[in-house]
Amino acid sequence: MIAYLIRRIWQMIPTLLGVVLLVFFLFNWVGGDPAYVLAGKMASPEDIANIRHQLGIDRPLWEQLWIFIRQIVSGDFGDSWSTHEPVSQIFRTRLGPSMTLLIPLMILETAVAVLMALLVSAFRGSLLDRSLMVASTMVMSISLLVYIIVGQYVFASVLGWFPVKGWSQQLSQNLTTYAVLPVLLGLLVSVAPSLRLYRTFILDEVGQDYVRTARAKGVSETRILWVHVLRNAGIPIVTNLLMGLPALLTGAFLLERFFAIPGIGREIILAVERSDFPIIKAATVYVAMATLVANLLGDMLYRVLDPRVNLD
Amino acid sequence: MINHMAKRLIILLGCMASLAYAATPEKVLHLELSAAETGFDPVATSDLNTAAIEQQLFEALLTYDYLARPVRLIPRLAATMPVVTDQGKTWVFTLKKGVYFCPDPVFKGQLREATAQDVVYTIMRFMDPKNRSPYKFLVDGKIIGLDELGDEARKSGHFNYNASIAGLEVLDRYTLKIRLKTTDYNFSHAMAQPMYGIVAREVIESYAGDTASHPVGTGPYRLGRWIRSSLIELEKNPNFRHEVWDFGSGSDPKLGSDPKNNPDPADARVIAQMKGKTIPQIDRIDIQVIEESQSAWLSFGKGELDMIGLAGQFAPMALTGDRLKPALIQRGIRLDRLIDPSIAYYFINQQDPVLGGMSRERIALRRAIFMAQNDEEMIRVIHKGQAFRNAYPIPDGVEGSDPNYRSVLNYNPREANHLLDQMGYAKGPDGYRRLPDGKPLSVRYTTSLSSQDRELDEMMKKSLDRLSIHFESEKLKFPEIIKAERQCRVQMRLSGWIADYPDGDNFMQLWYGPHIHENNGSCYQDPVWDRLYEKTLTMPASLQRDTIYRQLARLLELNGVTKVSTSHIRNVLSQPWLLGYKAHPILPSVWSYLDIDDTQRPKP
Amino acid sequence: MTTTMRSPGLWTLAWRRLCRDRVGMVSLWVVLFYFGVVLLALGGWLAPDWTREVGVNYAPPTWWMGAQESENAPVVPTTAPDNVAADLYGLQDPLASEFAAMHAAYPNEVGLPPEPPRMQTLPLGGDKWGHDVLTKLVKGSQTSLLVGFVAALVATALGTLFGAVAGYFGRWVDDAFNWLYGVFTAIPYLLLVFAIAAVLQQRGVVTIILILGLTGWTGVFRLVRAEYLKHKSREYVLAAGAIGASNMRRMFVHILPNVSHVILVQLSLNVVGFIKSEVILSFLGFGVPVDVVSWGSMLNEAQNELILGKWWQLAAAGLAMAVLVTAFSMLTDALRDALDPKLKQ
Repeated sequence: MIAYLIRRIWQMIPTLLGVVLLVFFLFNWVGGDPAYVLAGKMASPEDIANIRHQLGIDRPLWEQLWIFIRQIVSGDFGDSWSTHEPVSQIFRTRLGPSMTLLIPLMILETAVAVLMALLVSAFRGSLLDRSLMVASTMVMSISLLVYIIVGQYVFASVLGWFPVKGWSQQLSQNLTTYAVLPVLLGLLVSVAPSLRLYRTFILDEVGQDYVRTARAKGVSETRILWVHVLRNAGIPIVTNLLMGLPALLTGAFLLERFFAIPGIGREIILAVERSDFPIIKAATVYVAMATLVANLLGDMLYRVLDPRVNLD
Repeated sequence: MINHMAKRLIILLGCMASLAYAATPEKVLHLELSAAETGFDPVATSDLNTAAIEQQLFEALLTYDYLARPVRLIPRLAATMPVVTDQGKTWVFTLKKGVYFCPDPVFKGQLREATAQDVVYTIMRFMDPKNRSPYKFLVDGKIIGLDELGDEARKSGHFNYNASIAGLEVLDRYTLKIRLKTTDYNFSHAMAQPMYGIVAREVIESYAGDTASHPVGTGPYRLGRWIRSSLIELEKNPNFRHEVWDFGSGSDPKLGSDPKNNPDPADARVIAQMKGKTIPQIDRIDIQVIEESQSAWLSFGKGELDMIGLAGQFAPMALTGDRLKPALIQRGIRLDRLIDPSIAYYFINQQDPVLGGMSRERIALRRAIFMAQNDEEMIRVIHKGQAFRNAYPIPDGVEGSDPNYRSVLNYNPREANHLLDQMGYAKGPDGYRRLPDGKPLSVRYTTSLSSQDRELDEMMKKSLDRLSIHFESEKLKFPEIIKAERQCRVQMRLSGWIADYPDGDNFMQLWYGPHIHENNGSCYQDPVWDRLYEKTLTMPASLQRDTIYRQLARLLELNGVTKVSTSHIRNVLSQPWLLGYKAHPILPSVWSYLDIDDTQRPKP
Repeated sequence: MTTTMRSPGLWTLAWRRLCRDRVGMVSLWVVLFYFGVVLLALGGWLAPDWTREVGVNYAPPTWWMGAQESENAPVVPTTAPDNVAADLYGLQDPLASEFAAMHAAYPNEVGLPPEPPRMQTLPLGGDKWGHDVLTKLVKGSQTSLLVGFVAALVATALGTLFGAVAGYFGRWVDDAFNWLYGVFTAIPYLLLVFAIAAVLQQRGVVTIILILGLTGWTGVFRLVRAEYLKHKSREYVLAAGAIGASNMRRMFVHILPNVSHVILVQLSLNVVGFIKSEVILSFLGFGVPVDVVSWGSMLNEAQNELILGKWWQLAAAGLAMAVLVTAFSMLTDALRDALDPKLKQ
């Protein structure tokens, strides 16, 4: 186990390197030139050259790459090119709001999806199963964009149940007032796919021989579901959850934009639009590391939950 | 014993004081910005949203009168208007006395007065290459001795702020003499820009690297709580001098420009609400960044915002034609409409191998393309009536505009097709026109990735289909568009320009040959045009200058370089409890001139 | 002499089971209906010319009681384009002779050409230009379905291939694919989209399909890899190895069918997901070009229309998409149930 762990951590390095190289060359190739927009309306070619010099992008590529690698090691990616705000500060302050939105969303979505999946699996084939699946599929089929537009209009403006937009500094106020509508809208879109997937996983297990055996032995259906089936179906469910964690770092940019939530998703989209490389660099490196760690945790969890799995 | 009583007394007094304070509630103004701010160091600012905030934090030497129309410069940090001699080459500014910067730890508890030396430092900062200022152009190449300092700094890597140069001479503590290299009557406008708000050297040097978070100015407000890209709070500057609201009525635009004989009746309301009050009345300004217009509009509807600028495409929500909907009028909401000092213009790249050049065939092709653009339809469908046909490069409200100018490129698809037929652009077997030599012809139209620009693509496709010319779309990120334009790689585009200062020169320079690779996106270089333009540079605003401007505009049309299409109308809605508001075409914000009457708010 | 009855094959049984499933059959008919519409539209028999502006701007639906007089009725400009009489300010017009000849040849052409009359209402309403929403809907279905389906095939095929190889072989092969997966998922989606769009240059429907396909394989990969990890050490695989089946055979003949229901679910989710992603791509500016209509482009336009009270394009595209997605998903469910060998009674 330890050997496996060490080997996996050792292998993270080439992946990270790959990400670094790829994002570096992608950015220099298609990322765009920030100098022209930073230069303002009346910039002469000398001004543009000056800006490129100040930003350090007129240096040879290998030098810029080396600076990038040094930045990763030190964790300091410098300042945003458009706002001069330190990148580390940007992440520190924007991550909070994104998490306030996404963690409740993830918890609610998983809980609801797992519970509903167990429910429909227990009553498989019944009217309840069918109607819930049809309903959840219908709900999932509408784009998040449409939900946001209609939802904001109907629930916030017309009915007045929620504020139209905004964010405060207190976590409690955010959780109870500002995050409610965005989380609910996000839930609408994300529960159904998870439900369908988890239903598949659970039904997979329900069809296995050991379940028939357990039933024959007289074990109650509830115990079968909760103790035996869930544990086996838990592997892919947990994998799904873990692999989805890195997405927390990129935030839900649509929700953030429409509800004026100062989150990280919004910042990253802005950065790509403005060709603000320091932010893009930092975001990519953080997400890469998070993905690798999440992958590793997921695989370790396999081992713990299912001894049959041979990771080598 | 006495100690004990004293303590009780203090507590009692404290309670009474806080009760008294609570009795007069804070006046808070709630506003929105449609795009995130970038940071509050004026030297680095180029966007209007940040400029709006800086207008309240910093003070430039001059500003524009709140009510006067057409807009008029008045002193702000300066005590009086500058003394201009030597045919616009020498400017002497005298500062007000007793103007103090807002408190900051750098001042170590002392009151810090603004002096002429601060003005020198502020101007010098723009030429420092490290600051890479987008508004450097206002002083670039103009002040004697300043450019040399900038060149030295580029070589040595360090700008010498201690140097004394002939162009910026401090005569005494409050007086500054600026010497320009050539005549420039527009220099006063440069000194009215919020970016040229005066800063203190020790503050900048103390916070080097993070000046954007520590704006210290002499303005009526200072920065309070700031959550980047989300919330900006401004609170009163405790060191602000005593100023009283006493603007006189502007002139009624319909009757003429003499305010005494033709006062604008709308101003009477504003004057009645505000005259004699101290500036600023509002204690705190809460500004939120709301990027999506739907969110902003819904928020305004609920009373969460006190004022909102209504983008053209959302106008039908609040307006029918050019009037507020009755439901909104009933709630006491007010509409301010003014003409934006901006133009939207089509250009075709004069250096393009397929569409450029001055041969008669190419001129005809370009003019035909321009004549196929249906401006009325664009105004109706895309701008929802919140724009109007303006064919002149200088918009209304800017010195040098001409409301009587008539275009030779108006929408006329029949003539355009006849012209193309005459000049040999025959249709090929696929139904699309070809070049006279038979090679294929298509027009590549460059737009950004935003949803609004998709409408522009649709319009252009319709226009080119009328001519049976093949339409090709090029979609680029906005920074890429700027770069391509500067490198003369954009074939055709609908561009725009908003006035930096209200003088026609700011617009005419868009087609000046030497400005290719800068603002001259049309990449137009015509010696005849350039010589005519250069004549205007030394003229003050006058009838003679207007005559030349008309010729310049006509040449642009005759040579098929540009078609100026529309100017836009700005709609601002304000709640009934907002007092003293009149929309200003040039000032990015007027918040210190406003007041709030909380009794007019609906009870929750 | 005894005759052995041939037992029905897997697919025959599945088909029989499907026929018994009422919801499944309904979904099948709905999906077939959509495909029928798509085929007719492709062939040009249905919705041949959606670009014609047949209605007034924002024409309301014919059956809607709340329709008001359209505020955007086409206005014929009252001022004729007076290009000739304008003052030249002492300059010469390089095209003076051409215009003179033109006016001599066509003396009676004054003002603008007359516009054909436009309908005040349309069956499902009109968009801001006056295009018929119903026609757009039909043509849009064609585009969206094509994009969703082909992109999903690409993504699922890639993801299955990568996931199978990675999960089955493990070791350095798994590491290599995990490296690829890590790299792909770490890059901000928008940057990847830009990169693919830049490589492909032209902005057609193919670009969108490739953007979706090349960025969408990661979900399938992750699940298929997990399944292969789980299955490769199961008894039946070990047994197959014992009787001499090659790796390829074990991967694709033995394990794949047992994993196929997961893949099928992923395919259906991808079809659905990509149809919806196309909407987001349109929002970001990477949607279909202006001479093509899709549900994404319709919803993107409708984004700003709701607040103006023009709800019909949003409702039409939204509903059409919802019905298809629901039916498609239900059908996949039914197929999965029908194919599941473990359920054989």
